[in-house]
Amino acid sequence: MTNGWIDIKNTDMMLIMGGNPAENHPCGFKWAIEAKRNRNAKMIVVDPRFTRTASTADLFLQIRAGADIAFLGGMINYAIANDRIAKDYLLNYTNAAFVVKEGFKLPEDGLYSGFDPAAHTYDKSTWNYEEGGDLTGKAVAPEAPHKPAPPPAPLKPGQAPPPPPALPPNVAHDLALQHPRCVFQLLKKQYSRYTPEMVERITGIPKDQFLKAADLFTSIRKNGDMKKAATIIYAVGWTQHTYGTQIIRTAAMLQLLMGNVGRSGGGVNALRGHSNIQGATDMAGIFDNLPGYLKVPTPADADLAAYLKRITPTPSKPGQWDSFNYWSNTPKFVTSLLKALYGDAATKQNNFAFDYLPKVDRNYSWTQIWDNMYRGSVKGIFAFGMNGVMIGPDTKKNIDALKKAEWLVVGEIYPDETSEFWRAPGTSTDEMKSIQTTVYRLPCAGFAEKDGSMTNSARWLQWKNAALPPPGDARLDQDIIAQIFLRVRDLYKKEGGKFPDPILNLTWPYTDPQHPALADIAKEINGKALADLTDPATQQVTKTGQQLPGFAWLKDDGTTSCGNWIYCGSWTEAGAQIQRRGTEDPSGLGIYPNWAWSWPANRRVLYNRASCDLDGKPWDPQRRQVWWSEAAQKWVGNDVPDFKADSHPKDHLGPFIMNPEGVGRLFVPLGGLADGPFPEHYEPFESPIKNPLHPNQSNNPVVKKLTTPADKFGTPEQGFTVVCTTYRLTEQYHYWTKNNPMNVQLIPEAFVEIPVELADDLGIRGAEKIKVTSARGTYIAKAFVTRRIKPMTIDGKKVYQIGLPIHQGFRGIAEDADRNARTPANLLSPTVIDPNAFTPEYKGFLVKVEKA
Amino acid sequence: MSREPYLLPNGRVLRYSYRERLVHWLAGVSYVYLLLTGLAFWSPWLFWIAVVLGGATISRELHPWFGLAFVIAVVMMDRMWGKQMKETPADKEWWAAVPHYVRNEDEQMPSADRFNPGQKLLFWGFFWNGLLLLLTGLILWFPQHIPWSLRFLRYLAVIVHPVCALLTIGLFIIHVYMGTVIERGAFGSVIRGDVSRAWANRHHHTWYQQLLRDSEARK
Amino acid sequence: MSQVSNEIRRISGHAGSVPGEGFSRDYDVCKLIDTTTCIGCKACEVACLEWNGYSFSETTFDNSYQTMPETSWNYWNLIKFNEHEREDGTMQLLMRKDQCMHCEEPGCLAACPADGAIVQYANGIVDFQQDHCIGCGYCITGCPFNIPKFSPTARKVFKCTLCNDRVTQGLEPACIKSCPTGCLHFGSKTDMKELAENRAAQLREHSGFANAGVYDPAGVGGTHVIYVLHDATNPEAYGGLPKNPTIPVTVRLWKTPLKWLGNLAIIGGLVGVFAHYLRFGPKIVEEDEKDKQGVRQ
Repeated sequence: MTNGWIDIKNTDMMLIMGGNPAENHPCGFKWAIEAKRNRNAKMIVVDPRFTRTASTADLFLQIRAGADIAFLGGMINYAIANDRIAKDYLLNYTNAAFVVKEGFKLPEDGLYSGFDPAAHTYDKSTWNYEEGGDLTGKAVAPEAPHKPAPPPAPLKPGQAPPPPPALPPNVAHDLALQHPRCVFQLLKKQYSRYTPEMVERITGIPKDQFLKAADLFTSIRKNGDMKKAATIIYAVGWTQHTYGTQIIRTAAMLQLLMGNVGRSGGGVNALRGHSNIQGATDMAGIFDNLPGYLKVPTPADADLAAYLKRITPTPSKPGQWDSFNYWSNTPKFVTSLLKALYGDAATKQNNFAFDYLPKVDRNYSWTQIWDNMYRGSVKGIFAFGMNGVMIGPDTKKNIDALKKAEWLVVGEIYPDETSEFWRAPGTSTDEMKSIQTTVYRLPCAGFAEKDGSMTNSARWLQWKNAALPPPGDARLDQDIIAQIFLRVRDLYKKEGGKFPDPILNLTWPYTDPQHPALADIAKEINGKALADLTDPATQQVTKTGQQLPGFAWLKDDGTTSCGNWIYCGSWTEAGAQIQRRGTEDPSGLGIYPNWAWSWPANRRVLYNRASCDLDGKPWDPQRRQVWWSEAAQKWVGNDVPDFKADSHPKDHLGPFIMNPEGVGRLFVPLGGLADGPFPEHYEPFESPIKNPLHPNQSNNPVVKKLTTPADKFGTPEQGFTVVCTTYRLTEQYHYWTKNNPMNVQLIPEAFVEIPVELADDLGIRGAEKIKVTSARGTYIAKAFVTRRIKPMTIDGKKVYQIGLPIHQGFRGIAEDADRNARTPANLLSPTVIDPNAFTPEYKGFLVKVEKA
Repeated sequence: MSREPYLLPNGRVLRYSYRERLVHWLAGVSYVYLLLTGLAFWSPWLFWIAVVLGGATISRELHPWFGLAFVIAVVMMDRMWGKQMKETPADKEWWAAVPHYVRNEDEQMPSADRFNPGQKLLFWGFFWNGLLLLLTGLILWFPQHIPWSLRFLRYLAVIVHPVCALLTIGLFIIHVYMGTVIERGAFGSVIRGDVSRAWANRHHHTWYQQLLRDSEARK
Repeated sequence: MSQVSNEIRRISGHAGSVPGEGFSRDYDVCKLIDTTTCIGCKACEVACLEWNGYSFSETTFDNSYQTMPETSWNYWNLIKFNEHEREDGTMQLLMRKDQCMHCEEPGCLAACPADGAIVQYANGIVDFQQDHCIGCGYCITGCPFNIPKFSPTARKVFKCTLCNDRVTQGLEPACIKSCPTGCLHFGSKTDMKELAENRAAQLREHSGFANAGVYDPAGVGGTHVIYVLHDATNPEAYGGLPKNPTIPVTVRLWKTPLKWLGNLAIIGGLVGVFAHYLRFGPKIVEEDEKDKQGVRQ
């Protein structure tokens, strides 16, 4: 989240879309209820079903699963057309005024400029700003019609490839927002195609309903009023699409247009789905990041300097503006990380052991790994608290992949479907006997048996204590990993091997190496000084070995070590900030500055400088977060300013300090995103219709299909005419609560929610067994005949939507008692992924429905 | 034929056979239990009765079973006496003269058969109220099995059961009063079974005369 | 179940006066349920089970999110779900927490014949005392909300106790504590009623629910569990909440007029026959009298 859970209570207007917080975040949702109760805040819910969240909404719109960009694009169009935008904010805090290079083309035909159909990628060099100065008021020559750029000339022998395109340091800009290639005009043009009629065609939302929602949401900016704030709240209803990242982008753009980012009660707020998933992403539990969202090195990075040059942005902005460009400190973050990893083995001489870091040469995302396992190149897999058979798209393919693996290690608290994959329903005894995979089942500790910190959606790191020790032979995760690592290291020590240095030289500074204390690791992550350091501004000293007070102390010369720069400040010499439990909230904004610790630097609302006007005065005096103090000559406030504290407002330092531009990006230049600087509506990979905007390019052009025989896709012509979405319920938590009698009592059996009308068509009665089939598999469960999903008209066609909770599988209390058909929901889902975040398209694929 | 069924060697008349007396006491004892436990549930002031009869919970458990026993007895009585209890034209005269009966001026009463109309009233009173008590009693025995949609049955039962019970209590008071205090010899008739010829002649003249005729016929 | 610290106002099946009659040191408690902010998460269902020590049982899917069709002897608190379409065609998913309403004039207590089996405390809580319960089930008939439930194993009736054991210790009921959205409130009747009315007014003014109101039915003298409803004119839509609940008329007839009449009749009957005997004496058959002096034939 840019903001936080409690901050939601400060909002005036909520758009809840791609998420169902009442059901999946009931405790967090109380803050939405508080906003309604105490501020008469309005709530708009847009969802394929009338959910329990919708039951508390002021306005509910039923949308076709996957049509979100069309809706949000329509909202952008409406906001601009009806002047419901934050003008000063737009002009000064976003790149609306930046002029884009000639040669850039909008995707009226579904493709941006630079598309290579063979490789399914874009040459993004035209997705860039124009170099230049202030073009305000200057006449512009009429645009020549767009001609695709000629392919680059082949390299002559010995000729170095041209340097990759870079952002210009001085960006041409038009502060009147009139230049036809300024971002604002391009944005306007882009979404001018997203008329209310087009929105209705694509989303199925009747025009009058859409206009009602657009009017309501943008009403906070009527007549230029800047006092009110609106928030957009979402979850995996947005991420689980082949353009999921772009859906979120559209929301971010809408929020920038309306000046809601950085505001109390505003922001773009992702509701994370597990208690520590935010922590997992912060610590880079993904292949393409290093801790703190550092980009991973690639084989093309010859050395540390080349790597740092590639990943460290330089400012790119109008000349008279200032940009903090905080990522310019990347070398400090990287070097400190390398020191944390390799300690004394990382020296100036050896590039701080840069060679020890793996160079990521291709896509190693989840779906790709299991595809590789299916193809036979991945021999074995550790599955720690990760029920791969259940969570991955196309369950059958994943089970078949495991059958081909040589070994599987499962760390779990219950026998789960992954550890029992060999006896998945439908596996004959003969086949079971033929499976050669060795399965190791390691009993692990449950959440109440572990201490450590969890980072929530609001970026708060909160330490928890273990309530009781793990039972029997169960071990703590860190112990298992430590003990495996130490044995592997020993083997390398004894037997040598190919390049054992990174393993042999990995620091392991724990008091008890076999049982590393998470407190020790937390301190390591915060980082410490490796030499005596003095802050020139305050003359404060951090001595060698002391915990660092914050990331401003990080150095690129090897005198600091830090496991994750954004967590620097979480465990200082003053103690474990993440263990604090101060319940004071003097501002009443739900900031609670002394409760736990949020990254970065305990700032609760990101980009909070944007909560003030150009003079540093809060847009809404009732909700003062930070402000410029003339007397103190710095930014002060109820929240920690997410800004350079002593930067005078007249210096026009941009609030979006992590962007090289210093401002929010309506237009994302160059390689920021794989599939376009602006979001464009694309159809889900399996769709009932052709994309009304450009039928010849229905889907996201950058999405690549996987191509094993197991990767099957269905079309309406094959009879797959029903749109299917998958989701979770309050009463169950993914796949493990089916082992808990309490949850099983509340939701005892698998069901599929189908519209009354569809049930009538097929002669299906409530609680009757039905089967749902996609091109990949069949799911059997009881029908939940409901009025909460209505039939829709999509581009003139009658389309039904159905939905199914994912919680039941083939191992659990009800499953073991034969009270379920034992079919996992992901038997149905397709193996296509978002090209930026690699999330599979679990929502909005095609199925057919029949009686079982 | 050697045996005289009704005119006994000791000069008395057999009023009720062994079987009849057993059934009567089955009805009587079960009714008394029902009455006592019923009164306990009827009035908080009498709740202690259920407590002393083995505990309130056990009384609630057993009350319906005794009810069944009572119903069985009533059914058996109907099989034994149903025909004899039927209303006859002579009954109207008897009722017209009932003030004499109350004032113990029995010589003024028209002849009664084996069962006088008062007894017939008692019989049918217990029969029909007993039936209603059975039906409402079943509902009250298993109220948790009557679904919400049929709750009107419980509402009916809750009022009809005590009303019928009260009616039977009225009949019972009169029956016991008459059978023990008023009609000397009546109690013996239902214990040892026999009454004096004079008693039979006075109170059930028609029946007694028929017995004599039958006896003559048998000679 | 504890009677220790609560002042008692009414006792079922009880002869004589009640200690707490006419005197109260406790304020009236009240549970307020705001159905407009309930998200049907069932935390309250689980909290109730866990506090009262009941185990989880097997249930069946029946075309609804509802855990089971009705509350049960070991499941005192149930969210009832209803997919409801308003007149203007908009959808609602009405979710109402169903449990004992703790009526000011409890039908269960009125109908109960067992001394002390049902107790109403001065603070309004109506509590079953299972050690006095005789398992007759009259309370089932007396209740207009279909709440008391019979346990086939214990052969007694059970229902929500408004967490009397917690309330006597100054704690809020378990369900209140567990509610994540704060849709459940607990406090004095006066305070809760005020909160409810304010919320209903807010709904009418700001949320387009012209018929929003408070459910506190006068037919049972008001209840110590009250609801805020989006549409107070249609409580039936909320999982069958009765529009105008009262103690069933036959129960009232039985307990008051019939009780008087019947008692009078019985006593009258007994007095009558005694008077008759005094006046008229027994029936005497002279021949028998003579025989008594003579020899039996």
